[in-house]
Amino acid sequence: MSATLLIDLALAFSVLAAALWTVAARRAFEAVVGFVAFGLVLSLAWVRLGTVDVALTEAAVGAGASGVLLLGATARLGAQTLAEVRDQPAMALRIATGFFCALLAVALGWTLLNLGDPAPSLAPLAAANLAATELGNPVSGVLLAWRALDTLLEAVVLVLAVIGVWSVAPDGAWGGIPGDIQPPRRDPALRLAAQIIPPIGVVIGVHLVWTGAEAPGGAFQGGTVLAAMWVLAWMAGLVRPPAVSSRRLRVWVILGPIVFIAIGLLGSFLADGFLAYPAAFTKPLILLVEAALTFSIAVALVLLLVGPPKAAP
Amino acid sequence: MLTVVAGLWRVLRGPTDADRMMAAQLLGTGGIAALLLLAAGMGNGAIVDAALSLSVLAAFASVAFALAVPGRRR
Repeated sequence: MSATLLIDLALAFSVLAAALWTVAARRAFEAVVGFVAFGLVLSLAWVRLGTVDVALTEAAVGAGASGVLLLGATARLGAQTLAEVRDQPAMALRIATGFFCALLAVALGWTLLNLGDPAPSLAPLAAANLAATELGNPVSGVLLAWRALDTLLEAVVLVLAVIGVWSVAPDGAWGGIPGDIQPPRRDPALRLAAQIIPPIGVVIGVHLVWTGAEAPGGAFQGGTVLAAMWVLAWMAGLVRPPAVSSRRLRVWVILGPIVFIAIGLLGSFLADGFLAYPAAFTKPLILLVEAALTFSIAVALVLLLVGPPKAAP
Repeated sequence: MLTVVAGLWRVLRGPTDADRMMAAQLLGTGGIAALLLLAAGMGNGAIVDAALSLSVLAAFASVAFALAVPGRRR
């Protein structure tokens, strides 16, 4: 008992230390490294709390994809970091910000300490009805059957994010290849890494999606891993993304939400309502939605990581 | 677990960006080891999946860091 307590204490301390340091970091690059470290420790903490699904998402999306996304933003901001330090907000604004943040923290802590016992939860209800979805993982069941609308909207948000990134492209570059125009890198170590890691990563990504029906995993985590592998090959100069004007690329981005909505509409004719599954085909339909979502999430994340087009086609 | 904490300390202190990056990698490796130990200790095979994805993404992040470190961009 004391050993686990020690580990948990060390974890809690590490999470707090990483979070504090990320906020206090002077430069954006330091903050990003701190944020990645924070995500890593946090996913360990989630595992200790027994929520492997959340840990997996945190490791893939929080520490992996967001870290690299922020890193790209840091590189693009460049010298503007200095201006940010120079134009500090007024003292009153800073005090007010600190005060309201502290107020929020106190309110959250107070709520946590005064939770009912047992805490209000729909978990037993979800677990009891899990058999109806033929899924083994209650989290997937909730995300794709009972709260399918939330998942659908999350997938749509990614499409909107891609549109947002593309819309900041300069007029002349519209329709071009997304991302910086990169000279082919003659870095043997990087090329080797980009040739060895992606095959393994693709297998792991597909495994995460497939296993999501029975165990922690799912479209978002698997899609993130797949996207990371493609971006790795892109950074090594091995592959080039298709032009923004490519119709095929756009179809890939919207495929997941479209399939999801189509099956949802089908449900309103054959089953109880929008996003309800006909009882006999619940599991095949869920797997179909997961697969389509995975491709769209992966493509959308790649486009987000690569950035808007910079040069004319 | 101690490696993770020691690595965290290095991330926080590291005088140069390269130090921070290396420490972040050490942290990743230590985190994977900790996850595998936890998987065995808690008897939950799914944690291995988390360790797997972490290992792939740690390699990915290290490449991204290496390319982003100022002054090394070619």
